[in-house]
Amino acid sequence: MFEPFTDVVPSFFGMLNQGPLTLTIFLHTVIVLPMFWIYFQEKKRLKK
Amino acid sequence: MANENASVWTSIRFWRRSAAWVTGFAVILLIWLTFDTLGQISMGTDADLQKAVAEKKENKRVPAPTVINYHIDYKMDTRRGHEVPVIGAKEPFFGKEWSPKEAAALLHLGKLTSQAKNCMNCHTLLGNGAYYAPDLTKAWIDPAWQKGGPMQAMTGKNTVEEAMAEFLQHPSQYPTHARMMPNLGITAEEAKGLVAFLKHMSSIDTNGFPRNFSKTVDQFKTGGTNAH
Amino acid sequence: MLTSIKTNEFAGSESKKLAMMYFRVAIILFGAQLLMGLIAAIQFLAPGFLFEVFDFNVARMVHINALVVWMLYAMIGSVYYLLPDEAGVETVGVGLGKLAFWVLTAAVTVVVLVYIFIQVGPGKESTIWLINEGREYIEAPRWADIGIVVVVLIFYWNVFATYMKGKQTGILTVLVADLLALAGLYLAGMFFTDNISMDQYWWWWVIHLWVEATWEVFVGSLAAYGLIKIIGAKREIVEMWLWIEVLMLFGSGILGLGHHYFWIGTPEYWWEIGALFSALEPVPLVAMFVHVLYDWGKEQGKAKAEGKEGAVMNNGPAMAWIVTNAFGNFLGAGIWGFFHTLPQVNIYTHGTQFTAAHGHLAFFGAYATILIGMMYLGVQGAYGIEKLRATFKSKMAIFLITFGVIGMTIALTIAGYEQVLVERAELGGGWSAFFTAQNLPWYVQAQMWRTIMGVVTFVGFVYLVWDLLTIGKQAKQGAKAA
Repeated sequence: MFEPFTDVVPSFFGMLNQGPLTLTIFLHTVIVLPMFWIYFQEKKRLKK
Repeated sequence: MANENASVWTSIRFWRRSAAWVTGFAVILLIWLTFDTLGQISMGTDADLQKAVAEKKENKRVPAPTVINYHIDYKMDTRRGHEVPVIGAKEPFFGKEWSPKEAAALLHLGKLTSQAKNCMNCHTLLGNGAYYAPDLTKAWIDPAWQKGGPMQAMTGKNTVEEAMAEFLQHPSQYPTHARMMPNLGITAEEAKGLVAFLKHMSSIDTNGFPRNFSKTVDQFKTGGTNAH
Repeated sequence: MLTSIKTNEFAGSESKKLAMMYFRVAIILFGAQLLMGLIAAIQFLAPGFLFEVFDFNVARMVHINALVVWMLYAMIGSVYYLLPDEAGVETVGVGLGKLAFWVLTAAVTVVVLVYIFIQVGPGKESTIWLINEGREYIEAPRWADIGIVVVVLIFYWNVFATYMKGKQTGILTVLVADLLALAGLYLAGMFFTDNISMDQYWWWWVIHLWVEATWEVFVGSLAAYGLIKIIGAKREIVEMWLWIEVLMLFGSGILGLGHHYFWIGTPEYWWEIGALFSALEPVPLVAMFVHVLYDWGKEQGKAKAEGKEGAVMNNGPAMAWIVTNAFGNFLGAGIWGFFHTLPQVNIYTHGTQFTAAHGHLAFFGAYATILIGMMYLGVQGAYGIEKLRATFKSKMAIFLITFGVIGMTIALTIAGYEQVLVERAELGGGWSAFFTAQNLPWYVQAQMWRTIMGVVTFVGFVYLVWDLLTIGKQAKQGAKAA
């Protein structure tokens, strides 16, 4: 599952790049999660 | 509480805020990634290069211009799973060793000439450009230009750099194919610069592009080196 | 389209007149693009054609530069056209806008003449300042870069001031933000470096973030405006879709930039970022396609329910081009882009005719189509026509151009496939591998079909120009007779 670190230069993004799709799934999650918060905030506003 | 069932999915505000968040955050990530990448692709120094060669370690992704003083090969790296440039022993370039200052000036001339002569609208550089003529990413280590290769033999020169420089100055005297390179008025100095630019480009770590560079079937079977 | 200069039926909107001036230059440059493409295509088959007179690099440079510039002209024209409608006030500073138009047109003319007659220069700084910069798509010499920045600043000021003065609709809000990014990104392409990796890193900021991010959002705004204008779609729905499109286009497109950073010396982590973000780029294009067809069907159904007969749209040719856009954008940018966006595939396809195939269908499907649609809207407005119906010429134009471009794309895809397997996979992409693949009979056949389809496209273009020049007058006379 986890592959050896292959980036030539270790960096923050290189560190997250540890195997199949680890980095990109992390970034997608970070982008999408706050949308839940926006959703519930809007839901609350619309109910009022 | 009349709006108990109000749907957020059809709310313009929700989509506008989400669009602003996603766009803004993607831009921030891109800027962050850019800083990280720029640090990694900035040109190395001569000291970096000497150290890497002496310790047989991986080089900066884009080495110093003095890399033209070294032998460059392109070999399979089993750890990374693709070919990487290998910078070996020193070798003369146009019959001499170039100081860091001279090498930088020559590379500057070469890069400038590559743009002034519009190379990219026939060739690809690092795979980007037009598709009318061969990719130049690893042209320096192309077997056709090495000793015994058809291109070097045609120009009657004894080294890769001299053969390439000769060809660049008089391309239509050395037709390799019905599709020829036109005479672009490249001077002897500019030709030297261009060859330095090509040699430098072949030393850039391109994550294994092009793959299996110039491998013949025989080499493939024996698991041999790809370039020469 | 020509006589519209004199007829002046824009009910006093100078902004719309200015838009027509931009459209006229755009269509001329479109023609130049096609002619240069034909020369380049012939050179693939007969390399001696114009050898050392007008070489492939020159034809190809003018081919892609005319493309970029005609699209920018048509984009600026479209904005000047829709601005008074959306903001509800006349565009601020049209006089200045006209001055900028003439400055830009003079500069473009000089640049093209220098490209054609001087072509290349010595390896000195003066060449990239005066002749060409030798960087694909943004070859314009530095003096012209600076001129373009000034002209774009004037244009942007006009848009921004009009936006602040008039109604701030959702469409305009998106446009104002998008155009700022579009203009600002050009600056990333205006410097010289000896480091080719650094060079291409920033070069892609301009090319990718234009074509796969800001231009796409721009098209979303145009489609939104077009749908309201042509089929009377409901603004709330159209603008909600627009925000969803912005979310998905920028969400995937900005980091999708990573798919250009696989092999130019940049770190390995771009493989993953480029792969998944750009793999999602087709998603908003599906959304746009669904949205256009859904709204069309909905408005048509509503009209029928209300007992109205006939088509709901008031501009047949413009609607046809917008629907072609919705489909072409998805097919050309989405599907053909996805074909080779994963690094596992791209390591073999990068820098082959595969890219050319994608480029042809994507630029046509995503941009040419909708901008031609905007030109038809312009003609309708110029002549004050209530309902503009497609003529035989409009139909021939859209059929031949679309058929021609799809034909070229398929031919180039086949050529690319040959090249990928033989040059790259089998022989490893060296000098002799390249020419071995170029000589394959199937590759040569594909290039031949590409040229034939290029001619078909050009014939369609002739119909298009003919139609744009006559459709307004014809419709006007028809209305008078009836």
